[in-house]
Amino acid sequence: MSEQSIAGAGRAMTAEGDRSARARFVIALLCLALALSVFLSLTSGASDASAVRVIRDSVTGAIPADAALAARDQLIVYDIRMPRALLGVLIGAALAICGAVMQGLFRNPLADPGLIGVSAGSSLGAVAIIVLGTTWLAPVTLAFGTLALPLAAFFGGLAVTLLLYAIATRQGRTSVATMLLAGIAISALAMALTGVLIFMADDRQLRDLTFWQLGSLAGATWPKIGTVGPVIILAQAAMPFLSRGLNALALGEATAGHLGIPVQRLKYAAIVGVSAAVGASVAVSGGIGFVGIVVPHVLRLAIGPDNRYLLPASALLGASLLLLADSVARTIVAPAELPIGIVTAIAGAPFFLWILLRKRGIVDL
Amino acid sequence: MIEARDISVAIAGKRIVSHVDFAARPGEVSAIVGPNGSGKTTLLKALTGELAYTGTVTLNGRDLASMKPVEAATLRAVLPQATALSFPFTVREIVRLGLIGGRSGVLPGEDTRLPERALARVDLDGFAGRFYQELSGGEQQRVQLARVLCQVWAPVLEGRPRYLFLDEPVSSLDVKHQLIIMNIARDFARRGGGVVAILHDLNLTAMYADRIFVLSRGQLAAAGAPVDVLNDELIEKVFDCRLKVGALPEGSMPFVLPQSAA
Repeated sequence: MSEQSIAGAGRAMTAEGDRSARARFVIALLCLALALSVFLSLTSGASDASAVRVIRDSVTGAIPADAALAARDQLIVYDIRMPRALLGVLIGAALAICGAVMQGLFRNPLADPGLIGVSAGSSLGAVAIIVLGTTWLAPVTLAFGTLALPLAAFFGGLAVTLLLYAIATRQGRTSVATMLLAGIAISALAMALTGVLIFMADDRQLRDLTFWQLGSLAGATWPKIGTVGPVIILAQAAMPFLSRGLNALALGEATAGHLGIPVQRLKYAAIVGVSAAVGASVAVSGGIGFVGIVVPHVLRLAIGPDNRYLLPASALLGASLLLLADSVARTIVAPAELPIGIVTAIAGAPFFLWILLRKRGIVDL
Repeated sequence: MIEARDISVAIAGKRIVSHVDFAARPGEVSAIVGPNGSGKTTLLKALTGELAYTGTVTLNGRDLASMKPVEAATLRAVLPQATALSFPFTVREIVRLGLIGGRSGVLPGEDTRLPERALARVDLDGFAGRFYQELSGGEQQRVQLARVLCQVWAPVLEGRPRYLFLDEPVSSLDVKHQLIIMNIARDFARRGGGVVAILHDLNLTAMYADRIFVLSRGQLAAAGAPVDVLNDELIEKVFDCRLKVGALPEGSMPFVLPQSAA
């Protein structure tokens, strides 16, 4: 559907050009979609364990006929599927909202943490801890324990974002061509350094690394959620407060400042928030691509670019889509499973190309 | 009152504006004129705090450098030369951004109607639902002016005059809309606010400005009322072309008639 016809549909509901009622309606629908996705995620999987029965039994206190089987099913539902679904929600929401915030910050619909190297920087940080954590970086792992890996991922992502911003921004104007090209270069560099680390890794580390680089929610456990969940939730909770400022930023940094927005503070808050959320996500699930670019783009077509609605809607749709992708990843080659990053890339990459084709001649790099 | 003393601005080591004194009074339209590259926009950007400068700028007696963005935004709104957007905002969504600071100066509840009223003033009735990116350059400029008007809707807030900074507000407009926009500026000033506008059309400047600042190579060449500033000798020298300054018989308003280049 074209933007005009969607706006046309919205016009019937409220004042001309005001898409807020439509946006609230879409957000309500997305809440429903997320609930359905969570249900689907809990009830599907390689095992025949029934999430509905397990939950019903624990709520009603019913005593199952086969105690051993019930215990297995409980384990599957409570300790495998539930943390995995929760992780999927957290990471899907984080990736989508980070995409939307970066696009607002760079004033370009093609900016995305995966595309411009933030995820690669996070990966490098995390891989360094995995491979060198017991040797060169032993002091870091000793000092921070289980937080060492998420922290390294955070600082890796932060370093890339700051570097990109410094390279691509001249006198308050961010050059998108420079940003994308610099992102490619920085990605390549981070991946090369990651490659050096992989070369140094032993066989056990290697298998971990490969699976993790493709992106997967398979490692979801409650302790992991306890470590990275708060970071992701905090970073996400802060983002909606940026929405007004990001709206003003669409008019350019100078004009946003004239409107009373503390632009420098806004930019730092967005960069730190994105780096924290992406770093934490990468630390537990590896590089999952395209969620951050596809989700906000689809939503802009549906509800417009107002970040007050775009950010929460992105979080909801990102969470739903990642859970769906994970359900596909878990079941399509069951009992084995595909890394989820493969699923999102297979679905997302053609979509991204479609955006480029559609915008050809309109978006000016 | 906007008062600037000894303003100098250098960009990338090159001095663009040097030692300019400037004052814009509430109740007046102050015009900045000068040839291309004479430093008009740079001076305006210094006065709005967008560019770093040496010297002092005060707004209603307060030092601009010590103001937070939100305080400055309460006192003045700025219309840039052109604004490109990367996302498909509707005209209403753009105009509403002027309300972000929440200090338009209308009664509570009235601000939801403000985008419509502002659009009507710039002769864009019925454009609220259109996409900004699909409008012509002149229409986009008027949408931005509507946004700017929303920000400082009341020219005087809590007894303090407010200011409009307009960088070439009429350069992409047809003659009817040039007059509409200049009337808005004059009306803002008559109701107690102050206007600082960069203009190219010397006749429009003569019609609407109470005070003219002529810039030449980054320096102030002249400042004063139109009748005092617009004379053959000065204008020919600054703009480096031959022209004739006359006066309309029914008043003292001067007009400028170009003759030939150099």
